[in-house]
Amino acid sequence: MSTFVQLHLLTSYPPSNLNRDDLGRPKTAVMGGKTRLRVSSQSLKRAWRTSALFESALDGHIGKRTKKMGLEVYKMLCAKGVAENKAKELAIEVVGFFGATENAVKNKPLKELESSQLIHFNQSEMLALSDLTEKIAKDAKVDTDDLKKLVAKRYDIDVAMFGRMLTGKEVVKVTKNTEAAVQVAHAVTVHEVAVEDDYFTAVDDLNNGEEDAGAAHIGETEFASGAFYLYLCINRDLLEENLGGDKALAKKALTALVESAAKVAPNGKQNSFASRAYASYIMAEKGEQQPRSLSVAFLKPVRGEDIMNKAIAELEAKRANMEKVYGLCAAGDPMIMNAETGEGSLNDIATFVTE
Amino acid sequence: MEKYLIFCLYGPLAAWGDIAVGEYRPSFAHPSKSAVVGLLAAALGIHRDNVEQQKKLATACSFAVRVDAIGTLLRDYHTSQVPSAKKGVTHYTRRSELAAGDLSTILSSRDYRCDAAYTVAIKVRAGAEYTAQQLADALLKPIFTLYLGRKSCPLALPLQPRVDSFATLKEALATVTLDDDELPGVAQDSHVSIYWEEDQVSGFEYERVITRRDTPLSRTRWQFGERRENHCTIRKGE
Repeated sequence: MSTFVQLHLLTSYPPSNLNRDDLGRPKTAVMGGKTRLRVSSQSLKRAWRTSALFESALDGHIGKRTKKMGLEVYKMLCAKGVAENKAKELAIEVVGFFGATENAVKNKPLKELESSQLIHFNQSEMLALSDLTEKIAKDAKVDTDDLKKLVAKRYDIDVAMFGRMLTGKEVVKVTKNTEAAVQVAHAVTVHEVAVEDDYFTAVDDLNNGEEDAGAAHIGETEFASGAFYLYLCINRDLLEENLGGDKALAKKALTALVESAAKVAPNGKQNSFASRAYASYIMAEKGEQQPRSLSVAFLKPVRGEDIMNKAIAELEAKRANMEKVYGLCAAGDPMIMNAETGEGSLNDIATFVTE
Repeated sequence: MEKYLIFCLYGPLAAWGDIAVGEYRPSFAHPSKSAVVGLLAAALGIHRDNVEQQKKLATACSFAVRVDAIGTLLRDYHTSQVPSAKKGVTHYTRRSELAAGDLSTILSSRDYRCDAAYTVAIKVRAGAEYTAQQLADALLKPIFTLYLGRKSCPLALPLQPRVDSFATLKEALATVTLDDDELPGVAQDSHVSIYWEEDQVSGFEYERVITRRDTPLSRTRWQFGERRENHCTIRKGE
């Protein structure tokens, strides 16, 4: 049994071409027999994890850059009853695995424990290193293989969330594939969509029209607009496991994920369409039952005016009816943020998801 | 009488991997045994690289599926930027990969099925480590996230696993019907296809036997063995 966090988002984009196929057309899918606009999960994930928001939310929380790791190891070894001189020797050996250490300085006896360059230690590496001091203290020696294994455990937040499959010969020697803790579905519109053609011309500014009064360039670009339903399912236990059991870091990761899912749009053709949009509605659920997307709420395309409010009503009704028919999916009530009515907040959602 | 574990599979998108080498990633029109056994394994919390357990589970399950809605084909054009592989260089984050400079783009096409729905019937063979009921319980409260062939294809209906004894596969499948109320615009086909492994007392007359390479041999080396499946088509509700 695991704890699953499910997020259902409704986001309305003005005319845009967020995610293109090989012909440059917006991607589509058929749902309930009707054509919908689609943004692939790959496109969404890339937009989130390369976003400034994701970066700044997590910056400084992913591991540490330090010259003083040797001192930490030394202190830990001393605390475990290793003699000071021996502890120094062992700590230098540990840090030496990651990078060169400073030369001894007369009046600063611990200077030689510092590395000469800043070394980036991942959170999980620091935890593993701390665990490893137990063994080092006991054996009174450093086994390089243990250190190699420790490096293999390093996952950063984006890998912990979205996983990675590695096949490179060298890479697989030191690290293994990570199972993604976050499942992201392709976003599809809640209504039927016809992709439109935008016929455009570009004028030559220096052409005075004496010889050729026509356009200097003509082209076509395809676009569509729509209200998208997006579904995410987060396996909280796996996320924590991927992050080396660091609950605080998992919380930060979740907050950043919720915020980027709500605010960050894929980059495709943003310069032509400036279609950036925030989610109008988010429903978050938490529980141990088998997760399910609520896309069935939109099998019958939403029609007419006021599509967003209709979509919200459909989604909420479907969730309630599903619970009636199949039994509870989530433990307790869902948390809702609704920008149409001003109910709830993104902060509420983030708190609900992380607590 | 045989005990069956029966459950539904529906999501807006699904992908049932066929043999894929290189830039084209095709999908079968009905679930592969490896995908469904993988789903059960995920529910039980068996890791992908636990070859022994994966294989045991696959051997323990006799697999049958009814295609309630075959859906439509979606070919997704997929691009991905990757730096060229360099000896001794390991990228731990996407950010460091993209900062590597010498990026090249990998193109691939991935097939999905839109609007497809299936009913699966699993007969747990004698000597298996798990009972049908244990599998059903795991599906209700899974350990890992469940999906329809690809992680980006979540389930959009509860699986509704049930365990019961039936004389034939036909009787087992007849207990589950997908109606238009539940999935409007999806299950509209008048005929449905059924595929089953040879050791099931099916109650159907097979029209042909197909061979699929979808028996998991090694998940780490991504190897699959051949498997024979009987196939027939019947009028819906028959």
